[in-house]
Amino acid sequence: MVAEASVSERRLSIPNNPITGVVLAIPAYFAGVWLGNLFGLNDDQNTGVILGYVFATAAFLIGVGFLNYPLERLFGWDVSPVSVPNENRGIGRFFRLSLDHKVIGMQYLITILIMLLLGGIGAMFIRTSLLTPDSSITPPGQYIMLIGLHSVMMIFITSAVIVGPFGNYLVPLMIGARRMAFPRLEALSFWVVPPAAVILLAAIFWGGFPTGWTGYAPLSEQAGQGMDSYIVGFGLIAVALVSSGVNMLATIIGMRAPGMTWTRLPIFVWGIFTTSILGLLAAPVLAAALVQLALDRTTQTSFFLAANGGSNYLWQNLFWFFGHPEVYIFILPAFGIIMEIVPHFARKPLWGYRTAVVGLFGVALLSWFVWQHHLFVSGIAPVLRPFYMLSTELISIPTGIIFLVTLGTLWRARVWFTVPLLFCLGFLFNFLIGGISGVYLSDVPTDVTLHGSYFSMAHFHYTIMGGEIFALMAACYYWLPKMTGKMLSPTIGRIHFWWMFIAFNSTFFPLFIAGILNMPRRVSVYNPALQGLNDWVTISAYFLFGSMVLFAANVIYSLFFVSRPALANPWHARSLEWQVPTPVPARNFERVPVIVAGPYDYGDPNARPVADLGGLVGATGGG
Amino acid sequence: MAVRSQAPEVNPEVALDARLVGIGVWLFLAADLFFFAGWWFSYFYLRALNNNQAWIIQGLTRPNKAYGLVVLLLAIGTAVVYWATTRVAVRSLLFQLLAPVSLVLGLAACLFQGYEMWHLGFGLTQGGYPSVFVGLTGSWLIQFLGAVGWLATVVAQYRPARDTVLRPHSAASFSWILLFLAAVGAINYILLYLVA
Repeated sequence: MVAEASVSERRLSIPNNPITGVVLAIPAYFAGVWLGNLFGLNDDQNTGVILGYVFATAAFLIGVGFLNYPLERLFGWDVSPVSVPNENRGIGRFFRLSLDHKVIGMQYLITILIMLLLGGIGAMFIRTSLLTPDSSITPPGQYIMLIGLHSVMMIFITSAVIVGPFGNYLVPLMIGARRMAFPRLEALSFWVVPPAAVILLAAIFWGGFPTGWTGYAPLSEQAGQGMDSYIVGFGLIAVALVSSGVNMLATIIGMRAPGMTWTRLPIFVWGIFTTSILGLLAAPVLAAALVQLALDRTTQTSFFLAANGGSNYLWQNLFWFFGHPEVYIFILPAFGIIMEIVPHFARKPLWGYRTAVVGLFGVALLSWFVWQHHLFVSGIAPVLRPFYMLSTELISIPTGIIFLVTLGTLWRARVWFTVPLLFCLGFLFNFLIGGISGVYLSDVPTDVTLHGSYFSMAHFHYTIMGGEIFALMAACYYWLPKMTGKMLSPTIGRIHFWWMFIAFNSTFFPLFIAGILNMPRRVSVYNPALQGLNDWVTISAYFLFGSMVLFAANVIYSLFFVSRPALANPWHARSLEWQVPTPVPARNFERVPVIVAGPYDYGDPNARPVADLGGLVGATGGG
Repeated sequence: MAVRSQAPEVNPEVALDARLVGIGVWLFLAADLFFFAGWWFSYFYLRALNNNQAWIIQGLTRPNKAYGLVVLLLAIGTAVVYWATTRVAVRSLLFQLLAPVSLVLGLAACLFQGYEMWHLGFGLTQGGYPSVFVGLTGSWLIQFLGAVGWLATVVAQYRPARDTVLRPHSAASFSWILLFLAAVGAINYILLYLVA
């Protein structure tokens, strides 16, 4: 037996935890800097800084425990995998390398929420700077640093904010698996995120980086050492995307319970599946581009220097080949959440389940053929413009299908207006505006006019914050009772929703107007005639930040002060994750369940229970 | 052989593990293919643009084709020897004998490639081609070195009740990674040494 054979007399006796990791990382950083400066080909310390970050990250991961397994293999010790996690329930499991997908999901959630707070504080600084039309509050150099840190931090967060916490926690439960396919890979996908965030923030000590999240060359070649934080931090996120993609796809393909056919797969799992394909294939291209940028900055190669045989368009092509699928990495799991939650509260089957799956795949497929619309004003060959305009506009079709599936599910339903459903409705409203404004930007003449203005900024905030973050909130209110065992206050939740919904629209809708009036992005100085509009937006942004503080207060209040225990299935939902006890047992299911019906068979009194669970909590019928 | 006599029975957990490892390897290779595709795109893009006539500047000392061929043959040898032995059976005497040979070939490929990169014959600032050569070859070398490191652990685990014996499917699936890297090495050789 594999599990029995795993008992070993010999194990590396390093105390593996994040503290060991930090203790090892600090000297490793200085060792890297020293080596880089010793052998670096130029005198601007980039080699040292990049090597320092790489060494520090490697040392941190070693300290956490990632080298134990390969070393024990190399020593010929017993390393047979412990296939099913069997961990204690102590709080300490959240602060060390864990192979339990539920622990990793919670680790992700806390980390991402802290990062969201930091990114949000950055946004508040940016909006405060824009209270005046000149640069009297924040000098231009500091302003562009704030833009860079806010944007890249938010990209890090939104890459993982749903797949990380909810994908890791829920996918095995939803498909009837007792673990993830590759728990070490899953853990790695999490443990590279904190170093990525720290390295990104370390850019502050080098004066930040001037490129925003796109890192365009040749500006990125000329930038100071803060750019090295961008390179290594983004590289680590690429590692997280690939390792998460391999793990999620292998789990969904290979670990579905008997009876969990592809047509019974919860739609959220389909969302994670399509997202994982995009992350798996797009992130390596980004990694290649980042290596090239690092080589240009350290060994003075010339990938992006036209005078020396390179091309700055090479960066733009490679970056956006990753970058546009990346925006669907943000939104596809959000679609999954919305389509997952709505049927449960509409008490109706998901309308057009198969069509919705086709829609998810349609978006994922088309996302590979649109990247050059980001280059419409950069010098793309004019003959290519119609193709990329058309392919971008085509994406609105599968997206529209997903939208209609959700609306069709709500049509004539007796809706249970819970807090999660309110956030789903908020998502639909916001994403409609974000999506329609995106169609304008896909159109060449409009894009040429509005590119680089606040119009495009408002567009992607409507899709990402109005879309993905609203879906995140829906997911938190819906699934945190299962994950924490405590119900969040619905009263505070409703106040939170309306506060956030109004403040969000009050913040970002006026920015469409600012964009049409030619207010440029990434510049702290603007036309004084727009000051009133900007002051309105800034005050609204403070309120928006306040709504997030209220959410944090609700979580703390509900978990630690009121402590209202959650029932195993407080929403009377059919899907599999709600059929197991709360808190979820270490091995999820007593035995691998047998799935006998789909998760959305609501409204049919004769619907079979979703699964034979062999003695766990009774499965919900179709009522 | 003692190793063979202690081989455990296949149970459902092992069968599941075999299926997952098989899926995981192909997924990883898909990701890695896109990584190298990014490099190959860069190669063709810069070569086609030839900005400032500086893809290959006049008088550039090209890398030695024969030397590159040696590295390539060593890499192919590593992959093919390992792959062929896993096709026979991981729990066989043949594997016990030839897997270390494969490891030695792999180490030799890394050493030769490392030596070549240390003695390039051209400066990194001398145009687009040197940039792509260093980046693409370096990326391949790092990955191949990592694969050889893993191969060392596979060899080290060839003992009774150890991983290579308990999970032969894992050792067998790993052969696809070596084969993939050898194929990438062959493409790189054609691009960088023969048609640049």
